[in-house]
Amino acid sequence: MAEALQKKLKAEVDKFTLMQKDVSKSMSARQKLETQLAENNIVKEELDLLDTTNTVYKLIGPVLVKQDLEEAKATVTKRLEYINGEIQRYESLLKDLEKKSDQHRELLSSLQQEYQKAQGLAVGKV
Amino acid sequence: MSSPPNVVKDCESRILHWKKVSGDYEALTERLQTLPDQLSYDITVPFGPLAFMPGKLVHTNEVTALLGDNWFAKCSTKQAQKIVDHRMKYVKSEISDLSKTMKNFEARVGLVRDLESISSSKGDYVDIREDTENTSDIAVTKGKQRIAHKPNSKPKLDAVLDLKEEDEEKEGSRKCTTTEEELWARLDELEKLEELQDDHDRLSYNANMNGEDTSSLSSEEEKEGDAAPAVNELAHSEARASSGRKAEEAAAEEDDDEEEEGSCLPTIFFSHTIEPKKVRINTGKNTMLKFSERKEQKEHSKRKKKNGHSNGHSHHELHKITTPVDIYRLFVDVKNGEPVPRKSILKSRSRENSVCSDTSESSAADFEEGRRAVGRSFSHDETTQSDTSDGVTEEESPTAALLHRASRFEAFSGTVVEKEPMPSAVPYLTISPPALPTILERKQEEVAPDVAPPQQAPKRLSKFKAARLQQN
Repeated sequence: MAEALQKKLKAEVDKFTLMQKDVSKSMSARQKLETQLAENNIVKEELDLLDTTNTVYKLIGPVLVKQDLEEAKATVTKRLEYINGEIQRYESLLKDLEKKSDQHRELLSSLQQEYQKAQGLAVGKV
Repeated sequence: MSSPPNVVKDCESRILHWKKVSGDYEALTERLQTLPDQLSYDITVPFGPLAFMPGKLVHTNEVTALLGDNWFAKCSTKQAQKIVDHRMKYVKSEISDLSKTMKNFEARVGLVRDLESISSSKGDYVDIREDTENTSDIAVTKGKQRIAHKPNSKPKLDAVLDLKEEDEEKEGSRKCTTTEEELWARLDELEKLEELQDDHDRLSYNANMNGEDTSSLSSEEEKEGDAAPAVNELAHSEARASSGRKAEEAAAEEDDDEEEEGSCLPTIFFSHTIEPKKVRINTGKNTMLKFSERKEQKEHSKRKKKNGHSNGHSHHELHKITTPVDIYRLFVDVKNGEPVPRKSILKSRSRENSVCSDTSESSAADFEEGRRAVGRSFSHDETTQSDTSDGVTEEESPTAALLHRASRFEAFSGTVVEKEPMPSAVPYLTISPPALPTILERKQEEVAPDVAPPQQAPKRLSKFKAARLQQN
């Protein structure tokens, strides 16, 4: 009985650690997106400052490709929206992961208690 | 969220970064302003990391600015300036946000630091602690010195107690007048304890000489002033007697103290502090007693010797009656050269140690009458013994004498009775019963003068009671 509980406990603990890893991954991804969001906002604003006389280039690998100002603006806007969407997605994902991890934590604690009780009983028996 | 200190550190690092960035941008702004001043500049163009080449900087007004996220824009310096300004705004806003968060967390960190300083008492916060050592000493010196003896703790306390006891003795003498009443109260307690002990001891220690107790008790009574020290001395003396005096010096010290005590009256001095162990005459057990006690006992005994009193306290440690058991110790009959514990003190012969008499009196009313005589005789005996013991000690090595005495006292099965001022210590052990009556007579005579003082009530009343009555 105690051993079975122990195994169960270990399995649950592993699951929990995995979940925690997922949570941390999503967290880091979300942070990246946030920085990108900020950057793109600046780009958009700076593009607004420019006028058509300036040529806009986009860096694709080692090549600077000429871009139209309007196109650049549109591209940047699209990117911004995309980034926002990604952030929201990651946020929801994080929420779910956190909920799951909390549930798992509770389960672990209950299992631990059971395990301790079983151990206590075993000791008493012995 | 990380802990406040970490957050604060993180904020600080970020702020530094942004400040660096803003510095770069300021330099860039300056460059942008100066760049279009000339159409072209002669510059040394770096060729890779190691080489340079002379060149010209042209199109000074054309600047390709990185907008971010791999976007570039070709613009004039003024436009670039605008971009730079715009970025500066962003950097400044970031710095301000970080500084705000840092302030918020710094408060928490400061609180933690204050707590740390408080706990470590580095700051202005002071941990108030009451020094109980003095009070404990005072409590101890006032009244009778009461030491909770633990079998294990005693040996360790010996070294420490030696000094303390000496000090306490001195203190006790100083506090004598003020602690008399306390002493009387304590004496009452001790009497009761002794009575209980006597009952118990009677059953178990017939041979035990209570002389020491009586002597100790008497010493206390005799000298109110010295009561405290007397008690201590007695306690010490008992301990020493049992354990055997080992240091002449200590004995000499005690003697001096004891002499003062013995001068008063043959009173029973109580020293309950070391009762259990003191009572045990066995040298082995008594060795557990504190050295100071031994010293006191030594002094006590030596004093007795010097004074030649039958006060009893002055008796050497062995004769010091600090507990009822000591009385039984003195009441040891010597048969065939071997000490045999007497079963009834009433029947005991007069012990040289007046000490025993005192304790025995105090211990039980039944024994009062019988003990009175015995006590007196004992007091004489003690004095005589002390005299003899003195001689012994003087003749022999102190340790040997002490040990001898200790052994004698342990066995003390009646050798205490001395027919005559024992010329040698040996007679103690060899005192034969028949000699007792003679000694008793002599002792009584001797005691008579000693008993003269009212405090030395011939009754076997506890000295304390007698003294108290007199006082009252």
